[in-house]
Amino acid sequence: MDPEAAQKARESLELAFQMSNILDTGLDRHTLSVLIALCDLGLNPESLAAVVKELPTHTHPTQQQQQQQHRNTDS
Amino acid sequence: MEEEDHQKVSDLIKELVLRLLSQNPTSDSQPIDPNSTDFANSLRYAFRILSSRMTPSIAPDSAAIAESIKRRLATQGKSSEALTFADLYSKFASKTGPGSVNNKWAVLYLLKIIAHDKNSARTQLLDSSVLLPNLSDSRVSSRKQKGWENGVLLVSKDPENRREIAFREFVNFVKEENEVREEVLVRDVLYACQGIDGKYVKFDKTADGYVLSDLVKVPRATRIMVRKLCELGWLFRKVKGYISESMDRFPAEDVGTVGQAFCAALQDELSDYYKLLAVLEAQSMNPIPLVSEKVSSENYLSLRRLSVWFAEPMVKMRLMAVLVDKCRVLRGGAMAGAIHLHAQHGDPLVHEFMRRLLRRVCSPLFEMVRSWVLEGELEDIFAEFFVVGQPVKAESLWRDGYRLHAGMLPSFISQSLAQRILRTGKSINFLRVCCEDRGWADTATEAAAAAGTTTRRGSLGYGETDALESLVDEAAKRIDKHLLDVIHIQYKFKEHCLAIKRYLLLGQGDFVQYLMDIVGPELSEPANTISTFKLAGLLETAIRSSNAQYDDPDILDRLRVKMMPHGTGDRGWDVFSLEYDARVPLDTVFTESVMARYLKIFNFLWKLRRVEHGLIGAWKTMKPNCITSHSFTKLQQAVKLQLLSTLRRCQVLWVDMNHFVTNLQYYIMFEVLEVSWSNFLSEMEVAKDLDDLLAAHEKYLHSIVEKSLLGERSQTLCKSLFVLFDLILRFRSHADRLYEGIHELQARTMESSLPSRDKSKSRRQLGDKSSDPGSWIGEGRKALTQRAGEFLRNMGLDLDAIAKEYSSLLEGFISQLPVQQHVDLKFLLFRLDFTEFYTRSGPSL
Repeated sequence: MDPEAAQKARESLELAFQMSNILDTGLDRHTLSVLIALCDLGLNPESLAAVVKELPTHTHPTQQQQQQQHRNTDS
Repeated sequence: MEEEDHQKVSDLIKELVLRLLSQNPTSDSQPIDPNSTDFANSLRYAFRILSSRMTPSIAPDSAAIAESIKRRLATQGKSSEALTFADLYSKFASKTGPGSVNNKWAVLYLLKIIAHDKNSARTQLLDSSVLLPNLSDSRVSSRKQKGWENGVLLVSKDPENRREIAFREFVNFVKEENEVREEVLVRDVLYACQGIDGKYVKFDKTADGYVLSDLVKVPRATRIMVRKLCELGWLFRKVKGYISESMDRFPAEDVGTVGQAFCAALQDELSDYYKLLAVLEAQSMNPIPLVSEKVSSENYLSLRRLSVWFAEPMVKMRLMAVLVDKCRVLRGGAMAGAIHLHAQHGDPLVHEFMRRLLRRVCSPLFEMVRSWVLEGELEDIFAEFFVVGQPVKAESLWRDGYRLHAGMLPSFISQSLAQRILRTGKSINFLRVCCEDRGWADTATEAAAAAGTTTRRGSLGYGETDALESLVDEAAKRIDKHLLDVIHIQYKFKEHCLAIKRYLLLGQGDFVQYLMDIVGPELSEPANTISTFKLAGLLETAIRSSNAQYDDPDILDRLRVKMMPHGTGDRGWDVFSLEYDARVPLDTVFTESVMARYLKIFNFLWKLRRVEHGLIGAWKTMKPNCITSHSFTKLQQAVKLQLLSTLRRCQVLWVDMNHFVTNLQYYIMFEVLEVSWSNFLSEMEVAKDLDDLLAAHEKYLHSIVEKSLLGERSQTLCKSLFVLFDLILRFRSHADRLYEGIHELQARTMESSLPSRDKSKSRRQLGDKSSDPGSWIGEGRKALTQRAGEFLRNMGLDLDAIAKEYSSLLEGFISQLPVQQHVDLKFLLFRLDFTEFYTRSGPSL
């Protein structure tokens, strides 16, 4: 990427990050950059948002299970 | 390229998942292993979600999304942040070209949804508090949960903020108050508006409305709102009730065509209403289109929104209910008129609605008018039209066959238009029945073409009263003209009127003279000995010997002799009359009552003629001849004087009476009959239809009756006139007797004065003629003189008596004349008394 484009990309990302902070989305820069790339590639933002919402809670029970297993094996 | 893209996408997704999982705050310190089964599970799950929805549900408009985000920020009370956001967005949007984000809208949308999800994940509120910003109970706590690593730490509001506490308390309060959720209430209201009882909202017969049962705990505001919305249900119920009631009555033929049209129009309006309700119901199931699945956002339809949607249907439904109330007992034209009164409204919505309704309601009426005006057909099974027909005989078809029923006349058809409509249809029927004429059918099509409509059904509607008027006018014009043509040309109305005038009103002088001459002796007999047949023969003779024989045979055919019903003492003179037979269709004009009036006038004129005839007869005998003059030389002086004076008195009286009778005759013939006739003729020329003709004829007859002293007001005058006539006739007989006596006297004197050689001859001559041979023959001159004197004296006394009576009666008659109100009688007075002879001599005047 030429430096201009890179500059622009950085600035856009910065702006987007500030906007997301105002909106209090809880996304950090890196995740946001990935999401922006995915949007740009044409994915449905609604489904991306769903992934963002669902994924942490989805793994939560399995993690709990894992924890329990660990505890069980420990004890 | 696609392969590359796919690879890129999957790489990125893996990266994303990694990041998200590492953000998970509850994970223990175990690092995330990209190859673990957990990770694989998550990855698979992520892929599943991503592939489930390929297209977004909103339009890719980044500006709109930015706007909505700004608005949301503003409503949440973060107005400064909203401004910052706007600033950032404008900078973000201005970046174009390589290295910038292409699907900006996608990014914005993404941020919006994520933010929203985050927000709503914190809320645990009920849906009824939609008006307030989303309150969060645990905002503070969730903040603590988040571990911001790289982001800017937003300073949260002070948790002890009173506003927050107040909101929280209010939310709790609302939670307690509302037993029922708003969407259930909304659904119930929607049911109520279709007339169905919902779970909580039921129809209460005593309160006559849809009420929310008191047992249900809802706040008062909601209760009032529900009640207001259910007014629509009450109105709907009323309208629907009317429609179903009417439909039940259809088979009983109780509801007319107009009523049926009204029901149909109402049902159309209701079907529009149903459509609206269906849309609203569908909406009420749908949440606002925010597509995150788990969020139970507020339903689109709240009670408030419902009241906005219901504003227009409420107006329409109210109108319909008012109309239904009004029209419950009305039918036909009255119903159309009542609805029309309600259409006089300024509001364009109401106006348009009523116009649509009225167009349907009035179409059967207009149809009836059209068929009546163009074809003369009354298709009115339910008695809704304002023209009512009755079965009558042909001769009274015009006068009584059809009439207007004012109760069924709608208010947008004026009285004069209704009269014209009635007359047009009546004319067509009259032509068809009485005149047996078929030419009117063309006039109908002509009229329709001229008015710009067709003769087909359904071409006129409400709101086109002008078109209707023009159609009626055209049809009326043509039909009237046609009818008058038929009456005048085919049935020779004018000729018949003239014939009646000449024969019944004694206009044909020579005919009347002959008739009287011939019929006179017959009529002196008592009435029951006279045969009508003989009189008819005499009438024929009279016709043939006068100018009347050149008249149209059809007219002469109709002239007949009629003997009126008589008592025992009547003479022929009293019961004789002529009659004219007017057949269909002219007997519409010459009805029974009209002919009776003609008869009355005829009697009067006949009497007058008789008196005149008598006087003329007396004149004939009174002419001086040589026999009379001879007697002057032979008689003695005294007798001669007596004779002279008697004769003179007789002549004076005769002149008096003649003057009276002549002037009266002149007055009647010219001032009354001719003037009325010329007026009638001129009115006949300008008459535009049969009604005008009838009116003109009425006027003609009425003026004749009034002016010839036969009317109601002149009863006394008429009586005195008849007494005068009787007196004159008595005089005539006296005069006859007088002259007879004089002739006899002469005959005697001549005989006695003749040389003896002629005596026997003259005696023999006289012997044949004299009716009383015994009284005079052989008497001397003295006896003759004595007899003559006696006779003359008696006659003189009689004449005096008659003269006195006559003058007193005449005075009475003349004194009464000025009292009469009719102005023409003054002319009679003037003629009779132009030298003021009577007024000066009479003491009473």
